[in-house]
Amino acid sequence: MKHRLLAATSFLSAVAAAGSASADDCGQVTVAEMNWASAGVIAWVDRVILEEGYGCDVALVTGDTMPTFASMNERGEPDIAPELWVNAVREPLERATEEGRILLPVEVLSDGGVEGFWIPTWLAEREGIRTIHDALARPDLFPGADDPDRGAFFSCPAGWACQPITENQFAALGAEDLGFDLIDPGSAAALDGAIARAFNREEGWLGYYWGPTALLGRYDMTRLELGVEHDPEMWHGCTVVSDCPDPELTEWPRSEVFTAVTAGFAERGGVVMDYLSARSLGNDTLNAVLAWMDDNQATNEDGAWYFLENHPELWTEWVPEEVAERIHDAL
Amino acid sequence: MDLIDFPEMSRGASRALRQTVDGAFRDFARAYGETLEAIFAPIGHLLTFLETLMLDSPWTLVLAVICGLVAVMSRSWKITLGTALALLAIGYLGMWEDTMRTISMVVVCTVLAVAIGIPVGIAMARSDRLRGVVTPVLDLMQTMPSFVYLIPVVMIFGLGRVPGVIAVVVYAIPPMIRLTDLGIRQVRADLLEAADAFGSTSWQKLKDVQLPLALPTIMAGVNQTIMMSLAMVVVASMIGVRGLGQPVLQAINNQYFTLGVMNGLAIVAIAITFDRATQAYGKRLQKHLEAGHG
Repeated sequence: MKHRLLAATSFLSAVAAAGSASADDCGQVTVAEMNWASAGVIAWVDRVILEEGYGCDVALVTGDTMPTFASMNERGEPDIAPELWVNAVREPLERATEEGRILLPVEVLSDGGVEGFWIPTWLAEREGIRTIHDALARPDLFPGADDPDRGAFFSCPAGWACQPITENQFAALGAEDLGFDLIDPGSAAALDGAIARAFNREEGWLGYYWGPTALLGRYDMTRLELGVEHDPEMWHGCTVVSDCPDPELTEWPRSEVFTAVTAGFAERGGVVMDYLSARSLGNDTLNAVLAWMDDNQATNEDGAWYFLENHPELWTEWVPEEVAERIHDAL
Repeated sequence: MDLIDFPEMSRGASRALRQTVDGAFRDFARAYGETLEAIFAPIGHLLTFLETLMLDSPWTLVLAVICGLVAVMSRSWKITLGTALALLAIGYLGMWEDTMRTISMVVVCTVLAVAIGIPVGIAMARSDRLRGVVTPVLDLMQTMPSFVYLIPVVMIFGLGRVPGVIAVVVYAIPPMIRLTDLGIRQVRADLLEAADAFGSTSWQKLKDVQLPLALPTIMAGVNQTIMMSLAMVVVASMIGVRGLGQPVLQAINNQYFTLGVMNGLAIVAIAITFDRATQAYGKRLQKHLEAGHG
């Protein structure tokens, strides 16, 4: 019995060793494909480059900022989150990086993300609205609330990291007393639908949005000035915390967007980590790709191929020669 | 020809197709959006009225009225007590407002589904051709993923109650229609002949023979409609409908397990209450009619 157990164990370990020896340098990789356009495109770019260039076996898993971060933190998967917006997970993320569970090899959006409150540009020009206070003075311009006498202020969807932030900013502005109702759109798709409807009907729209996105590329919107600076203490202590009792208005910090990698993958990643540490895009490039995708009804995959075909000067910087050759062949 | 990969239409053609359909829809929404909104506005007003009524009245009054209605419909102290306990627990756990919103929405949707579904089911039962036309439509309504028709609906009606009602009714009405049709078709032919022999008109046959005998199946349809309406609550919250769906959505997105379970159980509690009350009412309807026949 003991001999059989020993034989079985040594056989299995031999098979496993043979298996891993014959696998490629990076083997199986899971990459989070979050459900907004810029994250989706970057996830597919990663997939193409890792599969064609490095010979990895890439699986894309759906994700969102909070659940993906929690999953990487607690369970070490997925391996890579290409576009993690760190503003609202700053504290737990700092702890995770200090303890070495998660690494942030690169700032994937080199210009940072842009978050804030937006209104259609045509409305801003017609009414001369430049700051949030100008907009809040005119609830009649923003239909959509249940009560037709009140203005509609669109929040970010339920469960997104920006939801407590938007709620606290709304409270800090005293917008409810000024005649506005905070509307939870429920999902990104519904938020986009509401904006599309407003532009179709030439109605006003006021609410939270972010860039880089295809929607901002497609509909001309203006970001409202808040008139205050970023206050880090208020931000971390109160604005990002749900149900903060006494929020004060503060500007968004420059939204840093990093690629996050689990410690486990960093160890076995090898050459792939060099690629991940170099891969970074500017907002202009990304907006252009997203706008192209929108005009052409392209999927994330199409967008990735479009980017690779049209910007070799960018991505060849991120990978060594042989890898670049292989990717060129695949195009 | 490559035998493994299916010969697809070219990417350019596919894109052109999608863009044409999208453009056509956008033009339609621009042209008819306001008329459609005006048609559905009464439903929106009814919902707002009912919701405001339930939220702005003192909770004791609302609780008493709901339990009273349940008592009148079911004449069972067990069901009434269960309802009262469930509502008290819901209120204590901080879910009262959301529950009132969901109840008002489900009541309106169920009433609409039953009011539209039963006549359509009766019509279908009388005509095989109509059934042939309506059945694929019902199949579509039940299986088409809700978001596919919800986002266009949001583009026309905006976020809020009306698209939510449309979503819930579209999903909940097929069981009502199908089971009404089934129930009526299953009435025994010899009973119908007997009714004819006694000289009943078509309307009398329907009212006095077919509907009473089909009632168990129709009540099963009502039960399914209620269950499906509540199941759609979370999907409706994804287009901004307030109620128990929103905390569930928040729980899903933030991975707050307990919040999700609590609100989910509140939804279940409402479903069971509605169902037991309507089923008991249905059984009483049948007893009342059978008593006459001895």
